[in-house]
Amino acid sequence: MTDFTKRLLRTPQGAIGLFLVLLVLVIVLLGPMLAPHDPETLAPLARYKGPSAAYWLGTDQYGRDIFSRLLIGARATVVMAVLATIAGTLFGAFVGTTSAFLGGRADELIMRTIDAVMSIPSLLFALLVVNLLGSSTVNALIAVAIAFAPGMARITRSVALSVRKQDYVNAAVARGESSAYIILREMLPNVIAPIIVEMTIRVSFAVMLFATLSFLGLGAQPPAAEWGLMVSEARRYMHLSAGILIWPSVAIAVVAVGFNLLGDGLRDALNPRT
Amino acid sequence: MTTKPETPVLAIENYSLDYDTASGVFHALKNIDLSVHRGEILGLVGESGSGKTSLAWSIMRYLPKNAREPSGRILLSGENLLEKTDVQIEAFRGRRISMVFQDPSTSLNPTLSLGTQLAEVLVRHRGLTRQQAWKEGEAMLDRVGLKTPAAMMNRMPHEASGGEKQRVVIASAFACNPECIIFDEPTTALDVITSCQILDLFVELQAETGVASLYISHDLALVSRTASRVAVIRRGDIVEQGAVRDIFANPQQDYTRELIAAVPDPAHRLVDDTVVETNNPLVRVENVSVHFGRKPFLAALTGRKTERVAGNNAISLSVNPGEILGIVGESGSGKSTLAKAMTGLNRFEGKIWFDGREIRNLGDMDNAYRKDVQIIFQHPDASLNPRHKISEILSRPLKLFGDASHLDQKVGDMLEQVRLPRTHAQRYPHQLSGGEKQRVAIARAFASKPKLVICDEITSALDVSVQASIVQLLLELQKASGTAYLFITHDLNLIRQIAHRIAVMYRGNLVEIAPAADIDSQDRAEYTRRLISAVPRAAGQYL
Amino acid sequence: MSPNYVAKRLVMIVYTLFIVSLIVFAITQILPADAAVMMLGENATQDALAALRENMGLNAPVWQQYAIWLGHVLQGDLGTSLRTGQPVGPVMFEALGRSLLLALLSIGLMLVLAIPLGIIAAVRRGKIADMVVSLISYAGVALPEFVTATIAVLVFADLMKWLPPTGYVPLTENFASGIAHLVLPVCVISVILIAHVSRMVRSELVDVLHTDYIRAARLKGISRGQVLRRHALRNALLPTITIVALDVGYLLGGVIVVEEIFAIPGIGRQLIVAIQARDLPAIQAGVLIMAATYSIVNFIADILYAWLDKRIQYD
Repeated sequence: MTDFTKRLLRTPQGAIGLFLVLLVLVIVLLGPMLAPHDPETLAPLARYKGPSAAYWLGTDQYGRDIFSRLLIGARATVVMAVLATIAGTLFGAFVGTTSAFLGGRADELIMRTIDAVMSIPSLLFALLVVNLLGSSTVNALIAVAIAFAPGMARITRSVALSVRKQDYVNAAVARGESSAYIILREMLPNVIAPIIVEMTIRVSFAVMLFATLSFLGLGAQPPAAEWGLMVSEARRYMHLSAGILIWPSVAIAVVAVGFNLLGDGLRDALNPRT
Repeated sequence: MTTKPETPVLAIENYSLDYDTASGVFHALKNIDLSVHRGEILGLVGESGSGKTSLAWSIMRYLPKNAREPSGRILLSGENLLEKTDVQIEAFRGRRISMVFQDPSTSLNPTLSLGTQLAEVLVRHRGLTRQQAWKEGEAMLDRVGLKTPAAMMNRMPHEASGGEKQRVVIASAFACNPECIIFDEPTTALDVITSCQILDLFVELQAETGVASLYISHDLALVSRTASRVAVIRRGDIVEQGAVRDIFANPQQDYTRELIAAVPDPAHRLVDDTVVETNNPLVRVENVSVHFGRKPFLAALTGRKTERVAGNNAISLSVNPGEILGIVGESGSGKSTLAKAMTGLNRFEGKIWFDGREIRNLGDMDNAYRKDVQIIFQHPDASLNPRHKISEILSRPLKLFGDASHLDQKVGDMLEQVRLPRTHAQRYPHQLSGGEKQRVAIARAFASKPKLVICDEITSALDVSVQASIVQLLLELQKASGTAYLFITHDLNLIRQIAHRIAVMYRGNLVEIAPAADIDSQDRAEYTRRLISAVPRAAGQYL
Repeated sequence: MSPNYVAKRLVMIVYTLFIVSLIVFAITQILPADAAVMMLGENATQDALAALRENMGLNAPVWQQYAIWLGHVLQGDLGTSLRTGQPVGPVMFEALGRSLLLALLSIGLMLVLAIPLGIIAAVRRGKIADMVVSLISYAGVALPEFVTATIAVLVFADLMKWLPPTGYVPLTENFASGIAHLVLPVCVISVILIAHVSRMVRSELVDVLHTDYIRAARLKGISRGQVLRRHALRNALLPTITIVALDVGYLLGGVIVVEEIFAIPGIGRQLIVAIQARDLPAIQAGVLIMAATYSIVNFIADILYAWLDKRIQYD
């Protein structure tokens, strides 16, 4: 494991990505404890304040502390994104592996159906699902997971197929190993690495998708401190104080870049041959 | 060494090359001294990693950024190439010194026609217009023995065979009458018969033009067939150089002797011909056919009949207990397809009789059959799971086929059996060398004490000296266990050394089966005779 | 490229649209919206509602409703909006026209910028230019459209007053004003596409530059620039066709957000309105049209690719 960390830290992407993601994780875990102010306390006299000792990043249109809101909103934004990505990945990976393993006409049918589903833009798909289930955080999670599943299925299948052609799998088949052993012990360890890489990068897409849903009024609802919602609410007041708009945008960008970089770093570090 | 009065066309003097790597400086070439005269072919022989290709890049001045040249000169007709500017070097390349590459399927641009790629050199260096260059190109293709030069000019690389493509590459190397040409394993990627023809073409053009040639190869036998002098390179050092005859008759260095000894010589049989042909063969393959692919989509819709691609056409052969049956053929002849059918990796039609039992399809291949029939693949890199330790790789067959007690002890014994240290059990495949990995694969195949082991080109990815030791190991194991081998290879010299009988395959068909001793008889099928005559003679015959 | 391949791709489009129609119909069936209530309002009498349901065929089994709907769609009748009472088809196609203008301009801008950026990054790999390009691409993937759009409006419209903040003016009406209104939306949509495509172009070109045939061409004495132009670029840029086509899915998603923010009456905005109003026929039509657009673009891209790359022999 230490060897692996060393490999990850060797590339600048891996090092910076790991640092940013760890920072975000700390905020997710300890955010509410670190927050200097209550995120929902309205202070009509302290609206649109610039950064100060009391309010590090200033206050918003209701006089709420932006820094505290960001610290607390991290949970809503990041945890949801990670959960949705994991759910979508598991479902997609299951479909993809099954398709690759079945092969032949069944594989063709499953993949063409997935192509068909992917012709609906994932944002639109998520919009439809949220609308169908009603706008709430949990429903947004389900929507994003469903929107991600086809893409993950496609990736898992192509990775699984290339592994399936390797001679070590042929050797196992020729040896008469059970399907379970071949899939779990021979194929999975070699399939999982690229999927983890793809999943890490997709967390940043999920963060953006969530934020977009909230922005369109179909994800988190006010007065939640979800970052996308904060940007959405800030829009009307942005000429009064740019800070209300900038800080949540920066927060979204940091998370997205962090997971992207970590994914690129993992890709190099997980390659067993270097 | 023969000395000639005039200046050599290519002279390398005290040349060294280093690479800066993350783990320090790597000395790729050390104080190289070589020279090639006009009309001469110098063979440069070495195993992978010996630095022979690095030398080619040095001469062509095409070095990676981390290369350093601490000493030496490379002279082309007396001019030091190390002192030339990039622009001067660009004008040299292709005009005064050119190169023929290993694999014509990767050294030609797949999206440009053959003619465009040939004419390009003529336009660049001889100042011809495109039309003139195209005309000239046709003439060149005619000169390299292509039947329809005009049509060939318009073809795309994927529309030509490997041999045709290599002729085009050779034509562009000779296009500007260079002083010197470097041939970097020009026949390694080609089939036996094609490479023989390419070699003949090379010798003919070389004699005609008198170009100084540096012929790089891993194959000592092949080089000695064309070159007048040979230099042996090992780990960046020229170990020995001299006239071909001298090198073979009186090698000065141990390494050269090893290399010569490692070249398979069909006259030197490595097995006794004591196997009796019985009426009860261990395995009998009866009319086994393999087809690939599905119906094309439109054909499926319209119900039109289509020809499926045949990998094997009704193959029948048998292997006796303890026998080594060789299967030879060019790539695409269906050798591996048959191996895969016999190990349950390809669906087949027909029957396989094993030890008196009838096997009609994959379902009939039960645990007992799989225990008795094992396969070893060509690339140990691909056949060993990169994420499993050697101990896990070797203990699987024990768990499946034998008793799983004292696994560590048994895995260690297996490693010793293939001459590897017991401690290798704790390693991962990428921590082993190519030869070591293939030994692990052999140990895995023998773990279940099989009656038949199918070896699918298991030595062709390895260096000559490693190949010899692997073959020796296989023969020892065979002697100890009495296992029968189905030995698939394209190396005729090797198979003539170790097989009892040889089956020849061509385009999915079995041409014939003959005892190894009679394979070069004049009574053999026409294709077999062509194959035999195309193989380079073994090293011993240069004495 | 064989007729086989074209036929197969065409059948795939039909299959895609069939699956999409199933999904869309299924989703609109589960939607907790009662078409009859929507048309007659909350205060309608039970009798009136029942009569309308019968009239609209809402009491028939689901598969029958689907068959009837599909039959109408195949005849070009996409249904009547529950919100406006107008036929959905013409409205949607008119909106699609505006969205396509937006999308095409964005793709154009993206190609003009992303390809040179990718090429520069690949040729000067590991140098400063490469790092700048990769920074741009990380920034691109890190900022969702609604953030870039909002900031762009704040900076270029509110503070600098260079461009109009929102709205849409048809080009036929006032060309200059129409273009001015399109500048910000087009730039916003392009950012993410540029980030993605320049990265793909870079990695494709880096791979091509490491092939044996590029080395062989250099060793024939062909100069760096010529090798890049004649040998490397066409091979590296061919796969970009497919990548751009697949990005159209992302682009269409981006169009939804951007149209909403800039108040452009395109198909994205129509869809949002329809989804918010639970206007079932409009949702069905909008999603179907989007999916069809995506499928057709990808079909054209695949055919173009196969035609340009003669190596590929599909069957």
